Amino acid sequence: MAVTAPGQLNVNESPSWGSRSVDCFEKLEQIGEGTYGQVYMARELKTGEIVALKKIRMDNEREGFPITAIREIKILKKLHHENVIKLKEIVTSPGPEKDEQGKPDGNKYKGGIYMVFEYMDHDLTGLADRPGMRFSVPQIKCYMRQLLTGLHYCHVNQVLHRDIKGSNLLIDNEGNLKLADFGLARSFSNDHNANLTNRVITLWYRPPELLLGSTKYGPAVDMWSVGCIFAELLHGKPIFPGKDEPEQLNKIFELCGAPDEVNWPGVSKIPWYNNFKPTRPMKRRLREVFRHFDRHALELLEKMLTLDPSQRISAKDALDAEYFWTDPLPCDPKSLPKYESSHEFQTKKKRQQQRQHEETAKRQKLQHPQHARLPPIQQSGQAHAQMRPVPNQPIHGSQQPVAAGPSHHFGKPRGPPGPGRYPGGNPPSGYNHSSRGGGQGGYGNTQYAQGRGAAPYGSGNMSGAGPRGGAGGGGGYGVGAPNYPQNGPYPGSSGTGRGSNVMGGNRNQQYGWQQQ
Amino acid sequence: MADFQTSTQRAKWILSPQELVYRYKAANQRAIEALEKFGATLMEVDADGSLSYPDPQINSKDNTDKHSRSKSLSIEEEQFMRVFYENKLQEVCNNFHFPHKIQATALIYFKRFYLQWSVMQHNPKNVMLTCIYAACKIEENHVSAEELGKGISQDHQIILNYEMIVYQSLEFDLIVYAPYRSVEGYVNDIEELFNENVEMLQMLKQTASLEVDKIMLTDAPLLFPPGQLALAALRRSNEVHGVIDFDSYLDSILSRQNSAHTISELYERINSIESLVNRYTFPSEKDLKHINRKLKSCWGLGSNDESKKREKKSKHKSKKSSNEIPNMPLHN
Repeated sequence: MAVTAPGQLNVNESPSWGSRSVDCFEKLEQIGEGTYGQVYMARELKTGEIVALKKIRMDNEREGFPITAIREIKILKKLHHENVIKLKEIVTSPGPEKDEQGKPDGNKYKGGIYMVFEYMDHDLTGLADRPGMRFSVPQIKCYMRQLLTGLHYCHVNQVLHRDIKGSNLLIDNEGNLKLADFGLARSFSNDHNANLTNRVITLWYRPPELLLGSTKYGPAVDMWSVGCIFAELLHGKPIFPGKDEPEQLNKIFELCGAPDEVNWPGVSKIPWYNNFKPTRPMKRRLREVFRHFDRHALELLEKMLTLDPSQRISAKDALDAEYFWTDPLPCDPKSLPKYESSHEFQTKKKRQQQRQHEETAKRQKLQHPQHARLPPIQQSGQAHAQMRPVPNQPIHGSQQPVAAGPSHHFGKPRGPPGPGRYPGGNPPSGYNHSSRGGGQGGYGNTQYAQGRGAAPYGSGNMSGAGPRGGAGGGGGYGVGAPNYPQNGPYPGSSGTGRGSNVMGGNRNQQYGWQQQ
Repeated sequence: MADFQTSTQRAKWILSPQELVYRYKAANQRAIEALEKFGATLMEVDADGSLSYPDPQINSKDNTDKHSRSKSLSIEEEQFMRVFYENKLQEVCNNFHFPHKIQATALIYFKRFYLQWSVMQHNPKNVMLTCIYAACKIEENHVSAEELGKGISQDHQIILNYEMIVYQSLEFDLIVYAPYRSVEGYVNDIEELFNENVEMLQMLKQTASLEVDKIMLTDAPLLFPPGQLALAALRRSNEVHGVIDFDSYLDSILSRQNSAHTISELYERINSIESLVNRYTFPSEKDLKHINRKLKSCWGLGSNDESKKREKKSKHKSKKSSNEIPNMPLHN
């Protein structure tokens, strides 16, 4: 019998129960900052292993431990796959926490809860943003295949990710790509009977069925996002950079055609179809716009960006597409070049100074030279965004020069407007885990009407003072900005907020190869 | 695939009978040591999961007195307390018309929690409510803490205070596998194999599900995987309805699954589960009264004097408002 005599029990060894203490790790540096918490790069003292620590912030929670964190933990503990980020453990910090300056961090919870992840060097967006970076075709195929493999695994296990975007795809120096940030994910049942919220997925990657108010949906929502990323990789910039829901739909319709009962049976029954159906006929122009793409790539993209979710290609079928089986074949992840890793946070101060510098310069020179390949400034929305008075937000363009800063590829918040689940004026802290105050939580189904609040289209989303700043590094671990409202549709107009987001929205610089 | 085979339940939470005995003994022992050290065992719990024993000085006045009066609970008495509150847990879940799955999840949380702690350290009523609340969250059947508290006239702040310590004690292993779905799976399988009439199978399933309810109240869920619990329930149900030849069904399962178990091993396990159900005893009123008196004294709530003091103290701290609710309130 393995029973110890009572006296032999070492009851002083703490903890005799539950999770380990964060003291088992040495925090090396902060690599990310979000409204609801921070991400640190840390070393496990015992093993020397480098990990990422994501803090779960818990104040302002009327319902205790945030449901989004519960879902993330629950889902990540269930999923074990090479293309899904590994949650190693949960650790807690017992004592009152202090922030960097040694002040108590104002959190009524004295201790902290951290999720411990394997450390990843980059995220896809950050990697693509590196000055001079240019992906090869086998490399794109390699990333896409890993993305689809990981997503297929999630879908088979009845998990919807619901926030697929470049900054949530982490990449290590072995070329492995892993899905991360399951903060919006949830399990689904195949009958699609449950009502799910349609306020998920970062706006630029959000599928038409959600934009039209559907609350019964399935894995196809993630596949739309994959299509957007695929097109972005080939095209060099986001293909649907809408600034609010109506504009988002319009951009989709302009490229993919307007939905009707012919191409999407049942679409007219979707809640807000009548509010949004275009007044003029719009033809599908995808093939025409992207005619320069490789034939097989275009064919696959067509199937991903299919309006009708029931006809949209599944992850499994996408993996069988000709694209992945014709020359040039996807390369072996290990053959990919290694990129030096650095984090937004390390270079932040430096860049801030630089920014101030260049801002001054910019005032004299209205446009940064690097704008050359950008959409013309007259395009709808941009001027608007520039003029919109957003508290605390520098005007458009103030971020531009940052792009010239040191390499900084760790998930810059290039800030598409977030899913905005908490409409009607997100409280600045209303992001993700601290969303309880919004009342709707992730449970129900937030009605769109609320989303508009009293403000005109979209501004409800945007005027919330986009705390999207600071989403910076480590976005993929989920402090990023999936939900952040954002103040503008275009590169330069994004990424302001609270000043911590020095990297913000340098869309102009992304995919630098196009400009160089 | 993510399933029971790759689950934390299989890896960490299915114990050997010896381990189980050891864990209960260890928890009991920790409480006894706390009693000796602090004169009381009930821990103060904060919403962030921090814990502390009551300040020993509070009791210093009548310390020696207390020591002589406060007797710790025995392992068997602790067991009775858990049994009592597990039944309460089922009752509360039934009153709220929660699905089986939630009840089972909450029960398993409760059982796992008390692998780490003694009822002398944490009031099982608070833990029970928190386990229900947590189970609702995890199973995506959200009920607000307030609603849950109201439904049984309890201060919901206790639930929120206990939530973190419950998750921590569960080591954040939140997905649990209950036998109800396994029962369904087996019945579907039986339908295909034996071509039985649907009504009979329906009865077989219903009775088996009631049997699972009973099994869930024993230690069996900490000792056996859900599939075996389901088989034990099905066997008992089949004894009532006589739908199939159970032995040959077991044979067919083993032959198809390439199972690592031999048929005699499987029998042995099913028999063990059944004997846990047969041996299950609910404490008598008298026992409960006695245990509760002891427990209150361990908690340091024995004398009126003492509880008033604690009340005062807790009013100072707004966060913990409610350690003071009477101990056996749920006679509904």
